[in-house]
Amino acid sequence: MRKVYIVGAGMTPFGKFPDRPYYNLGKQAALEAIKDAAIDHRQIQAGFVGNVMAGMVPGQKVFKELGMTGMQIVNVENACSSGATAVNLGYWAVASGQYDAVMAVGTENLTGNRSGGTALAPDPDDIEGVQGAVMPGIYAMRARRYMEEYGITPEDLALVAVKNHKHASLNPYAQFRNLVTVEEVLASRMIAEPFTLLQCCPVADGAAAVVLCSEEKMRELGAKGVQINASILVSGKYKTEPGDMTVPEISERASRLAYSMAGLGPEDINLVECHDAFTIAEILYYEVLGFCGRGEGVGLLRSGAVELGGKVVFSPRGGLMCMGHPLGATGVAQIVEAVWQLRGEAGARQVQGAKVAMTHVTGGGVSGMDNAACGVHILTV
Amino acid sequence: MSVKPATNQEYEFYHPDLFVMPENGAKPYLLGYLCQKCGKTWFPKAVPCPECWSEDIIQIPLSRVGKLYSYSTVHVGQKGIQTPYVIGYVDLPENVRVFAQLDMEPAELKIGMDVEVTAGVTRVDPNGVKTVSYKFKAVPAD
Repeated sequence: MRKVYIVGAGMTPFGKFPDRPYYNLGKQAALEAIKDAAIDHRQIQAGFVGNVMAGMVPGQKVFKELGMTGMQIVNVENACSSGATAVNLGYWAVASGQYDAVMAVGTENLTGNRSGGTALAPDPDDIEGVQGAVMPGIYAMRARRYMEEYGITPEDLALVAVKNHKHASLNPYAQFRNLVTVEEVLASRMIAEPFTLLQCCPVADGAAAVVLCSEEKMRELGAKGVQINASILVSGKYKTEPGDMTVPEISERASRLAYSMAGLGPEDINLVECHDAFTIAEILYYEVLGFCGRGEGVGLLRSGAVELGGKVVFSPRGGLMCMGHPLGATGVAQIVEAVWQLRGEAGARQVQGAKVAMTHVTGGGVSGMDNAACGVHILTV
Repeated sequence: MSVKPATNQEYEFYHPDLFVMPENGAKPYLLGYLCQKCGKTWFPKAVPCPECWSEDIIQIPLSRVGKLYSYSTVHVGQKGIQTPYVIGYVDLPENVRVFAQLDMEPAELKIGMDVEVTAGVTRVDPNGVKTVSYKFKAVPAD
């Protein structure tokens, strides 16, 4: 298997852009990634495009006006993990020797596809969806159970939002760059108890793209790439029996596979972009990704270890919480952030001396599964 | 299997394999699917057994009372369900976990409490047509 490098990264700012269709956003991100790679676009041999809401063949619409047609284009839908899935397919296309240079793009316009006043929910033909399940409600039940088991408070949960807003305030690509206090987080309107609005990731539009290539191609380009040491994609296990909702098995399993593939462990990681769709989620991921023990998540958060300047910085770009979560784009955007951090180009939010980064997305509401799909990547310089 | 006939205004939940509301006034109950080969019980119905692929599966009535594993009061929900509404996961003795709306006030909710299955309106479509399906409620004190 060949080594795979990211030699170009680009993204749009995240925000609400009702007038910019997903293909327009995706085109901009792709263009920026190609310029960043200083590669002739005609050398890109395949494109993998993550999107959830747009319908048929979004990738062709992203690439056609860039003149990148005729190549293999694969459109992937895997809920919140669609972007990570696109990168995973691109990784294997290069690692296997099929291609020398490919692109992965994640793009989404959510504002044009969501009705206001409702929450993201499983499909209406899902047994939990038809009975009234919504994603904030599912995560709220994880939170409620965790609060009961470990005695944490709403204030503890709110600290995740406070930290991620602090990080986002330093990120020009973030949708919400304001600082917030615990009191403001808890005083925002209720969404699904115990979550208030500022504890839930907002709707966003946006796109991100990366250029992946072989070592040989990287030398030919004279580029210094970021290596992808692990690219893991797994699905949730179907169970209708009781389980511990505070230990999302899918994320634990995906991260262990990633550590094994990379030959690295949590102690080696300098920064993590995780799927902080709700405040409790980031706390659970400190634990299941292996950065602390069960029930120790809040202690780790309060110690400062997971914020800028700490030992392992979680969500340096502000996470889903402040970027927003344009479903198909998020997985690629996390990887773009990791690339910028590892190249030392992250500006005011730079994690000093970052050498190893992890990205983690997971999502898709299907009854009986923690989540439908989870993607984990480990990148190094 | 006896199920209450749907009236003009109340639609039975979409799948009769899930839930029984006896006509004789007996209490409603959920249906489980017990694999005769590996012994696992499934809710909802799954044939073949997702665990062992046996097709030797029998329908059983599930216990009416379970333990509330967790809950939330939803303030921003789905279209067709008036907010706020309460949701929860209920663990039944047959080793199945069921998601449902709870016919309960937020103040009554406590993790680990006993709750029992009941029938109630779970959603109302834009024409005002109600869906009646399973919900859970607190077990009344004797």
